[in-house]
Amino acid sequence: MAKKLTLERKQSIVGWGFLLPASLLIFIFCFYPMLQAVLLSFKRGNNAAERWVGFANYTRLFKDKVFLECLFNTVFYFVIQVPIMLVLALILAQMLNSPDVKCKGIFRTMIFLPCATSLVSYSMIFKSLFASNGFINTMLGWINIAPIDWFNRTWPARIVIIIALVWRWTGYNMVFYLAGLQNIDGSIYEAATIDGCNAFQKLTKMTIPLLKPTILLTAIMSTSGTLQLFDESVNLTGGGPGKATMTLAHYIYSTTFENTPNFNYAAAISVFILICISILSFIQMKVGDKRD
Amino acid sequence: MIRKKGLIVTYIVLITASFLSVFPLYYMLCGATNTSIDIIRGRLIPGTYLIENFKTLMDNQNLPLALWNSVRNSVVVTFLTLLVCSIAGYGFEIYHDKYKDSLMSVLLVAMMLPFVATIVPLFKLFSKLHLINSVAALILPTVSTPFMIMMFRQAARSFPHDIIEASRLEGLGEIRIFFTMFIPVMRSTYGAAATVTFMNAWNSYLWPKIIFQSNESITMPMLVANLKGGYFVDYGMLMLGVLICTLPTAIIFLALQKSFANGITGAIK
Amino acid sequence: MKRILTLALVVLMAITTVFANGAKETPAAEKTNTLTVWAWDPNFNIPALLEAEKIYQQKNPDFKLNIVENPSKDIEVKFVTADQAGDYSTLPDIFLMQDNSYQKFIANYPGIFTTLDGSGINFSDFAAGKLAMSTAGGKHYGVPFDNGAVIMPIRTDIIAQAGLTVDDFNGVTWSTFFENATKVKKVTGIDMLTTSGGSEIVLMILQSAGASPYVNGKVNIENNKVLEEAIGIYARLIKEGLMTDYTDWDQYIASFNTGKAAGLIQGNWIISSITAAADQSGKWAVVPLPKLDGVAGATNYSNSGGASWAVSSSCRNKELAFDFLKTTLGSNTDLYDTLLVNNGVITTYMPAAKSARYQDNVEFFGGQKVYSDIVSYANGVPECDFGSYYNDIRSALTDAITNVVQKGADIKAEMKKAQEAVEFAIGG
Repeated sequence: MAKKLTLERKQSIVGWGFLLPASLLIFIFCFYPMLQAVLLSFKRGNNAAERWVGFANYTRLFKDKVFLECLFNTVFYFVIQVPIMLVLALILAQMLNSPDVKCKGIFRTMIFLPCATSLVSYSMIFKSLFASNGFINTMLGWINIAPIDWFNRTWPARIVIIIALVWRWTGYNMVFYLAGLQNIDGSIYEAATIDGCNAFQKLTKMTIPLLKPTILLTAIMSTSGTLQLFDESVNLTGGGPGKATMTLAHYIYSTTFENTPNFNYAAAISVFILICISILSFIQMKVGDKRD
Repeated sequence: MIRKKGLIVTYIVLITASFLSVFPLYYMLCGATNTSIDIIRGRLIPGTYLIENFKTLMDNQNLPLALWNSVRNSVVVTFLTLLVCSIAGYGFEIYHDKYKDSLMSVLLVAMMLPFVATIVPLFKLFSKLHLINSVAALILPTVSTPFMIMMFRQAARSFPHDIIEASRLEGLGEIRIFFTMFIPVMRSTYGAAATVTFMNAWNSYLWPKIIFQSNESITMPMLVANLKGGYFVDYGMLMLGVLICTLPTAIIFLALQKSFANGITGAIK
Repeated sequence: MKRILTLALVVLMAITTVFANGAKETPAAEKTNTLTVWAWDPNFNIPALLEAEKIYQQKNPDFKLNIVENPSKDIEVKFVTADQAGDYSTLPDIFLMQDNSYQKFIANYPGIFTTLDGSGINFSDFAAGKLAMSTAGGKHYGVPFDNGAVIMPIRTDIIAQAGLTVDDFNGVTWSTFFENATKVKKVTGIDMLTTSGGSEIVLMILQSAGASPYVNGKVNIENNKVLEEAIGIYARLIKEGLMTDYTDWDQYIASFNTGKAAGLIQGNWIISSITAAADQSGKWAVVPLPKLDGVAGATNYSNSGGASWAVSSSCRNKELAFDFLKTTLGSNTDLYDTLLVNNGVITTYMPAAKSARYQDNVEFFGGQKVYSDIVSYANGVPECDFGSYYNDIRSALTDAITNVVQKGADIKAEMKKAQEAVEFAIGG
């Protein structure tokens, strides 16, 4: 008994050794700067003129119309885009995992390409596709729908952002699902096919439960990615028309680097995002992260 | 019959998805081979201006240096990330107890603060360490990400404990078990992780831009940004730059995808 | 196992070399005859530096410039970061900054600059309106570089179809402009103007009458009559189909390159994008923008864009930097001649604008003396004060304009909202 205990302790210590490098790096290079940002959010003024103001930067948030609009936009993208993207990624992964499909390698590569595409070209392409005289409007013309001024109208511009996000990140998520499916025994699918399960049943009854750890992972990642969304807002729509597509991270960037700088306020917005993502991820963990 | 119908639907979906995904690449290709004015005017057929665009690009920017820097930085970052995070992910799962689980939850918080908020404190930190303008400043904050740790932890969950027990009985050390048992079995996870890490490292822009000060540190995304930085943009040159910037990630994906998506090969053997 | 160990070893070695490399990149402090400069356009301001380097080497043969290319936005981000971290060691000796950013940086990050008053540069030789943008509290922070005078290039062939000539648009008021633009649209179906980014053109009109949105330390948007007029003009241009506003810059360039518009209103640096469509040579003419009717102090001249050279506080050899700027960009007319011919840089250094090169007839613009015309526009630009809040004001006005045009909102109400938005943003 005594020997077993020491063995377990020994393993536990080895385990800590395994965690140490990664954890140390995160503590020094993420948590330390994060702590600084949190402290900053309770202060006002620059360097020498700095003073503590308690929650003043946080109460300012709810008086700030731009902040509220950006918050709405960000939440909207999150609620609409994340589910669409993850479901699409799952379906594609399942299809590409089917033994009957030929040329899988080519399909996989092509579907992955969007997220490898550089931001510059991707935003240029979307801008030209959705331009007032662009390809999308031409297509709408074929089916007798009046052209839409995508980038100058509030809701169409938001929809363009969502389409762009789904386009860019579906293949990326698919990669994780494919890697996850690799760890599932193929014979159970064969058995299910023989039992007469259709594709939809296979997806909901087998793939989703078996991929739960991976789905949780991608859900947390997409949540934090969408709530920190920056690139699309800056490059695709410039936050416009007005501030109709601007995200919170974009707003933080402009308050820090573009407009009259207010580092303390920017820090408060960042902490706000931090708290939101933490809560959402906590819920997702509670729902999805159980060792059976 | 149903199976055949399903297969047709599958192909239609896959072909549509592939077409939509590949279109931008085609667009870049057209751009890279046309003159700036043709691109602006919406020409969507490949042209014959590739060599001229390449010459302008070479005259304008230090392409070989940017490529080399990007490759070097991304390879180093990817390798270290995989090493550091997979060891940690393995440790979190295999030796899990309630303290380690709590630590994992704490670490996850690190991916939830927008990066913009930590730029200034992080820069201050590296300035104190006298590491501004060094590759260390690029590597240290990027190699350990909670996301990668969690990915390896989730993957380790499907790693059979029997193998570990058996290896222990054979007298293998814990570190040895990780390197000789876990890594080979988990190559699909490593393949996926390497692909996305490489891609992130390759495309990272803001942080490298802030810490590197000299022309010698230029990377591909910086090069592309320079192409768009002037008052007049040569779109042919820009598209060629963008194309060259995209290809390596696509190649890495092609090279690694075999390892993580070979179709159904059965569970871990 | 062995393979893994070997691999690990190789990578470890690679990393070591990488780190060693990194250490080498640290700038050496003793290089006193080299100046590091940040600039952003390899076809515009970087050639200016290369040319200036050549000229200065005649005086100082060992002199060298280390030019680092950085997009202008990134230069600003790097300065903000360095200032906040209190570490100026990474800054260059000389840098280029957009004129619109100067007041913000002088007010919020004064520590990054070295004032240029002791440099011996004769600042009165530069166009006054331009100089004011990089001057604060009587101190000079920048050596003006390129000219940002606003021009209205128009397609002579398109307006001719409506029986109009360049004179019908040259130095006119907005009411005349609307009359003629409507004729052009009616006959040809082509938009008279094209633009990108809404508020830009409103700000140009605002400045053309010198109606500052910031007066005596207070935001002056809500009761700014000229601004109301300017937004009205913008809304009317859109509503009557005389102008299209492209959200995207590339689409905007395409619109005049492909003949979808008969003209545009923009800073003169847009010329290089116009002349890129070589097949339109001879079909363009340049006139100044229309002026407001019945507004005191209204002119046909405005400013948009442009940049100036600054010396950083961490400059390793200030005398050298001062002397370099004074000898080259601060006084050498030959340099400006070369830059005009090779790169289309139109100067704000007035003695240079008197040189023969500026009298050249430009074939692309039907033989017009475009350069001397632009210089004369520049001299007429009224001063316009944005305080140090250019970006905040522009951002609030963009919202206002969007609401007016897209949602049919009331101009006065939107101006009130914009006033509040700017006050909120700068109120800490």
